[in-house]
Amino acid sequence: MSFTGKTPFEELLAASVAAHGHLCPGQIVGVRLAMLGCRLIGFEVPCPYHQLKKLIVFIEMDRCTGDAVAHVTGVKLGRRSLKFMDYGIMAATFINLETGKAFRVISTEAARDLAPLYAPQEPDQRSQQLEAYRVMPDSVLFRVQEVEVALSPYDLPGPTRRKVACARCGQVIRDHREVVQDSLALCRPCAGGAYFKAAKEITWDDMNWSPQSQVQKLDPIGRQQSLKERQTLLS
Amino acid sequence: MIKTIGLEEAVGTQLAHDITEIRPGEFKGPAFRQGHTVCEEDICRLQRLGKNHLYVIDLEADEIHENEAAALLAGALAGEGIVWENNPREGKINLQAAWDGLLQVDVQALAAFNLVDEVMCATLHNHTLVKQGELVGGTRALPLIMKRAAIERAAAIASQSGGVVAVKPLQKTRAGLVITGNEVYHGLIQDRFAPTLTAKIEALGSEVAALEFAPDDAEAIARAIRAHLARGCGLLLLSGGMSVDPDDVTRHGIRLAGATEMHYGAAVLPGAMFLVAYLGEVPLLGVPACALHHRITALDLVLPRILAGERIGKTELAFLGHGGLCRDCPECSYPHCSFGKGM
Repeated sequence: MSFTGKTPFEELLAASVAAHGHLCPGQIVGVRLAMLGCRLIGFEVPCPYHQLKKLIVFIEMDRCTGDAVAHVTGVKLGRRSLKFMDYGIMAATFINLETGKAFRVISTEAARDLAPLYAPQEPDQRSQQLEAYRVMPDSVLFRVQEVEVALSPYDLPGPTRRKVACARCGQVIRDHREVVQDSLALCRPCAGGAYFKAAKEITWDDMNWSPQSQVQKLDPIGRQQSLKERQTLLS
Repeated sequence: MIKTIGLEEAVGTQLAHDITEIRPGEFKGPAFRQGHTVCEEDICRLQRLGKNHLYVIDLEADEIHENEAAALLAGALAGEGIVWENNPREGKINLQAAWDGLLQVDVQALAAFNLVDEVMCATLHNHTLVKQGELVGGTRALPLIMKRAAIERAAAIASQSGGVVAVKPLQKTRAGLVITGNEVYHGLIQDRFAPTLTAKIEALGSEVAALEFAPDDAEAIARAIRAHLARGCGLLLLSGGMSVDPDDVTRHGIRLAGATEMHYGAAVLPGAMFLVAYLGEVPLLGVPACALHHRITALDLVLPRILAGERIGKTELAFLGHGGLCRDCPECSYPHCSFGKGM
């Protein structure tokens, strides 16, 4: 228990719900999944900074559970510590970069079927899941696989390790994500298989907008402003 | 790893599992036990049992044989008051009552266990009265060999609350009876409640230590209750006055006596007007008049659970609803029927 009177789980859940926007069964599963994953690789939750630098999490779904896993662990797409794999599977893999140990935690489908038994006093499916996922033991809620994950140096956090320009459109491609076709390095859209099609450059209204132009509208005299003055105006 | 060999190559090898023989209406059991070394004389009998091939097992480090798996599962499933013998027959282990008492099944853990692939456990209904040595459950792993991790996960699920099945011995308590009603108190009719309730209490190993009669007067009923508490009774049963007539004042009397908790109404027919109250830690059961007419009522579902130490509240009385309807058979076969078997 903490000074708030909540268990560590309830504290993590409250913070995750605040970040995500609502309480739902997926949030509870996600918080517990992250707690178990971190425990298996010997990390605390929430991860202190020195552990966060050694943590990579692969999240296999873009659902509420995914947000909870990311929030509890602190992994982020921009830090390259969060890898999204669009598998549509309620699972996440936790990797300790220091030890190389990796565990894939899978939320069981059986847990959904068992919710009415674990919370029979609740009147509907949603409230049964909210309560049942709090009380079920990990052994019922999850299966765990020890796995090996071959991480390329280009997948790791840190500065960009390689940049090349697409031989067709000139777009710079970072971190070895180019595709080689006929000995030419291409960006993925040029190599085919992009998620979009019929790309066409356009112009749009107020093309010369910038944060600075907004400040000039507020201060039409146009005098030189210090950074502090600009921040005051914008706040 | 598992390999299949022809029967002609089997002499000298050890059987990987029990081989079952079924003679309809006469015998079902192992003709040969796992580990038996096949000899020339066995070949004909194996052929008669329809066996032309046998398995040879070479377990990998992460695999487990069905017999070892069954023992692992039985150990995890067995809670307090359950015994089992580590001698799987045809891959199955029986769970038996170590003593007389009330069977308690962790229904949610049992369901979670059975949702794991390749394992199973079947039990008698929760809250069944059982005798020492009685078969209360059975478990087995389904394939001949399987992954050890899956079995260990199933065992973890089974042991989440100290085992899936347990037998709680019934407490031997000194009960006090309060028979209410002017018609009995003033001798207009002969009481039939006291002998009925006494028989039920004695059948469960307890005794009736004191008997009071009270008229339809709340104060008098409260005095009778207090007198039983002063005598040290550990359980009180009150009969009559549970209905909706103006003379039915038993509940008021129970409140006056100082009930700290009272739940009126059970999802059971017969026995809808059953009552459970607590005076401190002493349970008090209000028995409606239907107990005079029906052999088995809500009282028979609740009394063993009270004696097994369970605290009965609104939730427990509500959950009796599923299966709480007596079929009122011409010849009562309880407990070998659906009555009270829901949760």
